[in-house]
Amino acid sequence: MTLRKRESLKVTVLKGRPIVPGHCRGLALVSTKPISFLGGVDSNSGLITERDHDLKGKSVKGRILCFPHGHGSTVGSYVLYSLAKKGLGPKAIVNQTADPVVVVGAIIANIPMIDQVDIQQITTGDDVEVDCSKGLIKIMKEK
Amino acid sequence: MYLTKEEEKILNGEYGWAYETSMKILVRLGDLFGATELIPIKSAHISGVSYKTVGESIDFLDALARAGGKAQVPSTLNPSSFDPEYLVGKVPRECREGQLRIISLYKEMRIEPTLTCTPYYLRKPRRGWHLAWSESSAVMYANSVLGAWTNREGGPSALAAALVGKTPNHGTHQAENRQPNVVVKVDSNLANETEFGALGIHVGKFLKERIPLFTGLTNYTEEYLKQLGAGMATTGMTSMFYYREPAPKRDLERLSVEARDIHNTIENLSTISEDPNLIFVGCPHCSLGEIHSIAEALEGRKVKGGTELWVCTSKHVKGKAESYVKIIEKAGGHVLCDTCPIVAWMKNLGTETVMTNSAKAAYYAPSYNEVGVTLAPLRQCINAACRR
Repeated sequence: MTLRKRESLKVTVLKGRPIVPGHCRGLALVSTKPISFLGGVDSNSGLITERDHDLKGKSVKGRILCFPHGHGSTVGSYVLYSLAKKGLGPKAIVNQTADPVVVVGAIIANIPMIDQVDIQQITTGDDVEVDCSKGLIKIMKEK
Repeated sequence: MYLTKEEEKILNGEYGWAYETSMKILVRLGDLFGATELIPIKSAHISGVSYKTVGESIDFLDALARAGGKAQVPSTLNPSSFDPEYLVGKVPRECREGQLRIISLYKEMRIEPTLTCTPYYLRKPRRGWHLAWSESSAVMYANSVLGAWTNREGGPSALAAALVGKTPNHGTHQAENRQPNVVVKVDSNLANETEFGALGIHVGKFLKERIPLFTGLTNYTEEYLKQLGAGMATTGMTSMFYYREPAPKRDLERLSVEARDIHNTIENLSTISEDPNLIFVGCPHCSLGEIHSIAEALEGRKVKGGTELWVCTSKHVKGKAESYVKIIEKAGGHVLCDTCPIVAWMKNLGTETVMTNSAKAAYYAPSYNEVGVTLAPLRQCINAACRR
């Protein structure tokens, strides 16, 4: 992963609601579709396997994972824990609307998380810095 | 959210990681749903047991058990992926070991391996008791038929509530959120459990999270209401319904359901018309009364060669149904406890086509289990199972 110097980037800051505290920077992986962690993400590879998903075949590993909200079985929370334990989890989670499955998953996996963010302003590959304790997300796009 | 000194201590990790993590889950979810406090619960019921669904993501259960987490209130478990007598020998070793490991981790946490979706036949919660139950059909039954108070928990939040013995006070734990907000007039004399289940599937789609008050329901039994709730929870997010109260004077939205809607629902849920390999009764798990009816219908008859009949229930109910179980087994049927075909490896056990009297099972079978399904009431299921 290569992060560019800040000077060459256009920076946008969005405000969200803190869910799980933490601060990190990484590359965004953005979906317009909800994600089901149970059955939709392979806990042994970190790859998204959900049928007809716009991120199918992409890995969540080390990414700032942005999606509207979770869906599907509540046991999906355990999948986030398993991913994180194997080093395959996302670096942070940015949601439009937090739902219990993803919130519980982020808590037990200790993955920084914010919600109430307009994720349409983020594009896959954007260099993103999230301060989930303050609920801030800084999007750095190339000028 | 306001926390007592003791609750703060738990949250700060003074009692170890398992309780700290459970408390974090409850507090964060409480914040999310606008709860201001935690309230004590009388019991917890936990889903997330079948190895088929939980699979290899059992790391978290393992971590909680290792950290010494123990349930603080009576806690029960949902069904697993096989029964201890009939199917256990037919599943691959790896799956068997994985399943037994999940159950033993829950046992370490002092959660009873009841392995049933009808924990209320084991211990009936009293009216007004606060519970933290997952398994949506049991939530519906507890709130609507038994008058207990529980939100529709997920597996992890019910487990966290079991370990702490409390749940955030919001949703159906508060009287103002238990009022009906839509009247559903049923213009049809529903005749059996399948029609009640189909009514649930039909209205669940429109209700989303609203609480319906049904008018026009006659001839219901507790078993029919169990099917209604199970169906409604399958297609909607509702957690309770009313069925015997008069329609309130308040101006409420009104829906009506006609015989045609029930008919169409049953037809749409059926994906095949050929003879089934498997006839399955017991979603949700059978009551003693239902096992009695099945035994009566089977008395003196024989299940056809090449056809299986499974009656699913809990160990507890099976233990009380000895004479009925004998009749069912003599006829060539199997009374399975601890599981149901939906959470078992139905397809790998040679099943391609299923007939069931449960609208919920019929809804899930084609997608979860990739089998063809016919939905029909008990009489018809038994006739399909038996030699003429």
